[in-house]
Amino acid sequence: MDAPPVAEVIESSTRHVVAEVLKDQEAPPFGTWVEIETQEGVVLYALVSHAETGSVEPGRQAVALGRSRDEIRREMPHVFELIRTTFRAVVLGYWDGRSRTPEGAPRVHQTLPPRPAALHDFVRPCGPEAVARLGAPYDFLRSLATFPDPAVPADDLLAAVLRGLRRAHGDGDPGQRAVLDAGRALARLLHDDHERLQSILRRV
Amino acid sequence: MLDFHRLAGQFQDFSAYRRDEDRRHADRLAGALDALTACSTGWESLRDAVLAEAAERGRRHTPLRAIPHDAPDGCHACGPRPTPVTVVATDGSQIYPERHVEPTCYLLNVSRVAFHYGTEEPCVIEAVPQLRYRARDLEDLAGEGDDARFDVTVEVVSALRDELELVTLYETAAAERRSGRPVVALADGTLIRWMLRGMKNRALEERLVARYVEALECFRADGLPVASYVSLPANAEVVHLLRFWRGEDDQAPPEDTLRGLLDRHLFERALDEGERSAVFASGSRILDEYGAHHIVYFYVRAGREVGRVEMPQWVAEQPGWVDLLHAVVLDEVEKGGGYPMILSEAHERAVVRAREKDVFYRILERQMRSAGLPTTVASGKAASKRTPRI
Repeated sequence: MDAPPVAEVIESSTRHVVAEVLKDQEAPPFGTWVEIETQEGVVLYALVSHAETGSVEPGRQAVALGRSRDEIRREMPHVFELIRTTFRAVVLGYWDGRSRTPEGAPRVHQTLPPRPAALHDFVRPCGPEAVARLGAPYDFLRSLATFPDPAVPADDLLAAVLRGLRRAHGDGDPGQRAVLDAGRALARLLHDDHERLQSILRRV
Repeated sequence: MLDFHRLAGQFQDFSAYRRDEDRRHADRLAGALDALTACSTGWESLRDAVLAEAAERGRRHTPLRAIPHDAPDGCHACGPRPTPVTVVATDGSQIYPERHVEPTCYLLNVSRVAFHYGTEEPCVIEAVPQLRYRARDLEDLAGEGDDARFDVTVEVVSALRDELELVTLYETAAAERRSGRPVVALADGTLIRWMLRGMKNRALEERLVARYVEALECFRADGLPVASYVSLPANAEVVHLLRFWRGEDDQAPPEDTLRGLLDRHLFERALDEGERSAVFASGSRILDEYGAHHIVYFYVRAGREVGRVEMPQWVAEQPGWVDLLHAVVLDEVEKGGGYPMILSEAHERAVVRAREKDVFYRILERQMRSAGLPTTVASGKAASKRTPRI
């Protein structure tokens, strides 16, 4: 929980959150994990499934200005203040803040949390250890494959998750092993639809 | 239901009427353009005659006439806008007192914007709300005798908002000016407080004007050029100047009178894209109370629109400042698509939307209730108007 927050929750349900990226921060990449610590000490884990950039005010639409970025900064300095990036993240797991494995690591439940995050809770990107903990038995993949976000191509999101998994476990053998494990779980979920599985793995 | 059959004839009448009006307008415009050129030869004597007429005022009613500062038909092209340049602006809105809320309270929300063009310095865009309710806030506005007491009417709140906008404009300009860099302070609307005349309380009017002029004096003391932009100006002072030159009788205007024409109609034709008019002084009576801050103005044509830029006389007298205002305003209007960009931003920040007004009253009510005070806010009519029942 030491990483600085990158965003703040502005819409929340037990299934997903929408967060606004804070000033001078970058949106977490598509398909990466974020964590939200709630006031009660519960930590929610969510996967970034969609990001967009637009006007802060719903009534104000962006229009083409015909000026370079540098010119806009110098001559229309408020424009960049009126733009915001928001992202949606699918909530797929949580830690109750107390229960731990015999080794002392947080015991993460790969299921929906009892309560949604509160509005204005901060959102941080997950570090590699947290991502690695979101591993076997990969129950979250079932939630993701069975109830995909209708606005997001599910397979691209799955491929991005597997890429993240490999990064978190380290490149080389451990990473490759984690991807294989997750791939096997995915194969069962996809009812051995090899075409689809191959197409996902090619994108990893 | 609308019976378009029966309406058809009326539509035709309307277009015929419109055609006639357009023809009359075109004739008036041609007459005015001729007069503008012709009166400029020996314009000094015209100015003196208008001033003499104004001095005699009171004996008979005359319309407000522009007092030319130079040849009235002057058209001045725009020079380059300096870079870097700092432009600041303010705007304000309010929640007027509600009859059902005791004691009387109202809200002023004044925005401030500062842009340092040509640099990457951070801009200022914010609005500061002020909830006002103390009787003593208004104490020094009250006069003596019959005029001593006054109600906090819509006019009074609007006047206080205008005043706060100007004071905030001064503070922002003073805080954001950078050494060696030109600065322009731009207000929205007119600097002429003619609307105070509607209060019918002479002492109050005088105090409000005096305080407004005090704020203008701050700009002068610090050497800060201040101006305001009037979009779609409805003035006809220059037209009335031309009517005077033509010798039109105000009581019995001739057949070909220029009456009905506005200054902007005239300058839409007289000025080319980007040009500004000559500088004129306003003949508004309330300016008698402005002292050294008598308001003068020029018209500027930006795109198809003609706007009016007002400033105190001392701003116009400072070498280079009229050109600076011209260049800054033109650049603003171009960037804002027909209206100064910085004023649009100031407006966006200042505006209090209907929904926010509802929240304002809800919070006020909650605060009172939690303090154990009777909640007059929700009393009957006002509350039922805000939340329609289902």
